[in-house]
Amino acid sequence: MKALVKIVLILQILSLFAQADEYIVVTHSKIKNLTKNQLKALYLKKLSFIDNIKIIPLNLEANNKIRKSFNKHILQMTPSHLKRYWMTQHYLGHRPPHSMTSQESIKLFVKKVDGAIGYINAVNLDDTIHVIYRWKD
Amino acid sequence: MKKVIILFGVLISLLRADNSYELGDGVQVASLPFYLGGYISTEYRHTKVQDRYKIGDIALLGYGSSNNFSYLTEIEYKNLYTEKQENDTSLVNNDTNLYIERLYVDYTFNENYMARVGKYISPIGFWNLLPINVLRDTTSDPISTNIIFPESTTGLYASYTKFSQTEFKVDVMLQNNEDIDGKYNNYRTNRHYGLGISYAKSQYTFKLNVGYFNKLHSYIDDDGTENEYEEESDYDDEYIEKSNTVQDLYYILLSAKYENEKYQFLSEIGHQESTNGLTTPYAAYVQGLYRMTPQHMAILRLESYEDKVKNKQDNFAIFGYTYRPLYPIAFKAEYQFHKRPIDNKLQLSFSVLF
Repeated sequence: MKALVKIVLILQILSLFAQADEYIVVTHSKIKNLTKNQLKALYLKKLSFIDNIKIIPLNLEANNKIRKSFNKHILQMTPSHLKRYWMTQHYLGHRPPHSMTSQESIKLFVKKVDGAIGYINAVNLDDTIHVIYRWKD
Repeated sequence: MKKVIILFGVLISLLRADNSYELGDGVQVASLPFYLGGYISTEYRHTKVQDRYKIGDIALLGYGSSNNFSYLTEIEYKNLYTEKQENDTSLVNNDTNLYIERLYVDYTFNENYMARVGKYISPIGFWNLLPINVLRDTTSDPISTNIIFPESTTGLYASYTKFSQTEFKVDVMLQNNEDIDGKYNNYRTNRHYGLGISYAKSQYTFKLNVGYFNKLHSYIDDDGTENEYEEESDYDDEYIEKSNTVQDLYYILLSAKYENEKYQFLSEIGHQESTNGLTTPYAAYVQGLYRMTPQHMAILRLESYEDKVKNKQDNFAIFGYTYRPLYPIAFKAEYQFHKRPIDNKLQLSFSVLF
């Protein structure tokens, strides 16, 4: 019986580690929940306004784990596909979103600038910003 | 030529000043809402009767945005140097004039509506949206993109876009004036009304374009010189229309695209007629592109068209290979197999985006 309890406990502990990280897209502005397609369009600069608010999308740096997850789950594009995309957008006069060095800097920017949106780990959420999209890795 | 050197000297010194610059990204000028970029293209074409060397498409781009406004300008040397060799004779042409390829200001009203005024690339089909060599899949353009509609428009443009689970877009083009620097537009026109509807879901995009334009007497050729319409033996890589009559022309183009990380399938079929009858009963292509790696691409394009104006019909296949050591650098080779073997051609090109 003791052995069974130990196995269950170990499995529960392991399952905690195995739980997928949850990430969130946050803003300080009066923006309602976004669809995945709207979010994708904003980060690809196909869309620049939501509810008459000019949106400023923020990225984390290229090698950041959350950014890689965002590219995979939201943009559904590989780094080489994104590179191709932004080359053509350069010719069409569009720039990629600005990159920030940390989740803290994203939170600070989002709090101060109307229309700014950015993605962070859900554990870093506080009551100064609100969530407009969630996804799990 | 001095102007070219000065322009690119300025661009290169700006690029060198920006430590974070990567090729193909453009460069921001002094923290202003102003970005600079450019591109170059060189080409070689071989047919049974002629060899052609060309340095063309040397261009500078400038663009930026502020609040609801954005702007873009593109100036270009179209055919800086062209040499044709035929029967032991050589003909060299230099066009050192700078042309305005694009010049417009956009105003975005909200998430659905935007408007544009100026000279812009006609948003018709897929291929015509990226008309520069370095961004194209092959050195040559499909015939349907060159003979059905005006490649650029000078006037107003407005669009409606709706993003939900899908993307729906309506484009409206209005021109009721002369072109800005229209020498290299494939049709010389002072009136163009066009409508486009596109629908995208997942990796599929479908598009329908219809429109009307009036063709003025045109004088364009691919080397920047005036040649008689009848002398053109083929469509070349840029279509040349020359006629002394003003014509009202109506067009329709249907386009479809599927794209994933490895493959891209692209197809466009167009039709054009005038008030007097058919001018182009059909011009169509189907293209498949396979990315072996991000650097190596293989392309197969099948084309067919019938042109009543030139009384010409052709079916042909293009086999292409593109090597991109970096995405903004393209080495391309293609071979075209035409119905008439004399039209077969080899094309090689090198192009770079800054």
